[in-house]
Amino acid sequence: MKVKYCLSQTAKAFLLLVSAVTALQPAIANITITVSNENSEVGFSGEHAGMQFSGIFEQWTANLTLPPAKAPQITAMFQLESAKTGDFTYDSTLPEGDWFDVENHPEGKFISDSITVIDGGYKVSGLLTLKNISNPQTFVLYEQKDGFSANFAIDRIDYNIGVESDPDAEWVSREIMMRMQLAKAN
Amino acid sequence: MNKHRYHSLSISLHWLIAMGLVFMFVSGLYMVNAEIPKAEQYKLFQIHKASGVVMLWAILLRLLVRIFTQKPPLPNVISKEEAKRAKLGHVLLYTGLAIMPLSGWVMVSASPFGLPTLVFVDWLNWPHIPGIQRNKLVEGIANNIHMYTAILLSCLIVGHIAAVYWHKRTHNINLVKRMWWFNNDN
Repeated sequence: MKVKYCLSQTAKAFLLLVSAVTALQPAIANITITVSNENSEVGFSGEHAGMQFSGIFEQWTANLTLPPAKAPQITAMFQLESAKTGDFTYDSTLPEGDWFDVENHPEGKFISDSITVIDGGYKVSGLLTLKNISNPQTFVLYEQKDGFSANFAIDRIDYNIGVESDPDAEWVSREIMMRMQLAKAN
Repeated sequence: MNKHRYHSLSISLHWLIAMGLVFMFVSGLYMVNAEIPKAEQYKLFQIHKASGVVMLWAILLRLLVRIFTQKPPLPNVISKEEAKRAKLGHVLLYTGLAIMPLSGWVMVSASPFGLPTLVFVDWLNWPHIPGIQRNKLVEGIANNIHMYTAILLSCLIVGHIAAVYWHKRTHNINLVKRMWWFNNDN
């Protein structure tokens, strides 16, 4: 009787520990932040005819599951049609076939394949897909008090953007800067 | 109506188109050949395109007025042979005038750039000709037609002005009065 009692005491303690750990686990694993054009901003900028232009995507959404989560991942979907610069000429040209070709490729996406913690934030690598062309991109997602930010450049020629009009970047810069300012709170 | 001169509307259009042509020739040559900053070149292209649309309307209206009104008879001193050549010259002038804006419109519509043509700043977004978008072959042909017609048209205009001068010297007649609103009742 006495031995049995002792064993069940140990078992109880063990079970308590196990349940405590398993209870904590999902709390770490499932922190996913959803951001979108509602509370955050994804923009782009470049140069045309020696003049700076910049714009934002007015329709996009992204999910961020960051380390120390078990399977950290960032996914983002954005409507290319929603790219707006405020300049009528640019805004009516961007959706056209040689540029974003929104008729055939309405959506762009980013899916990360690795996220590592670095000083001040995260190093993110993944595939950015535009016009059905996927290229690896790496950027640093800086952690701030109430959000995240990132800046990185993409080469429009890698995505067949404006290759017929201006392959030598005589008019439009090859390098297009991407700018993100993401809110932490949902 | 004064039968010694063209219709008032024809006269107004003749001189407006003459001034417009000077601007189109100068801006066209300058934007293609001059070593100017890209931003200036780009803006000049847009101005040239918008002005081209206005020229197209003016030239079409001119042709309509010419078709639906009576042209003044040529002075008796002009021989039948000369009259025939004058007729040919004028047909060529009208044809050249019509080809210039039309070939320009084809170029703009076929260009892979797909830039819109905004007339009077942004009052009117002049449409592209459908079915030829991103067609470099059509763009190239239209480009050549635009250039060679410009050369031929400028030769025709020099001949047009020289003929007025030649008739003044040879027959002592002032043909300009046929294309002026007043002092033409001789």
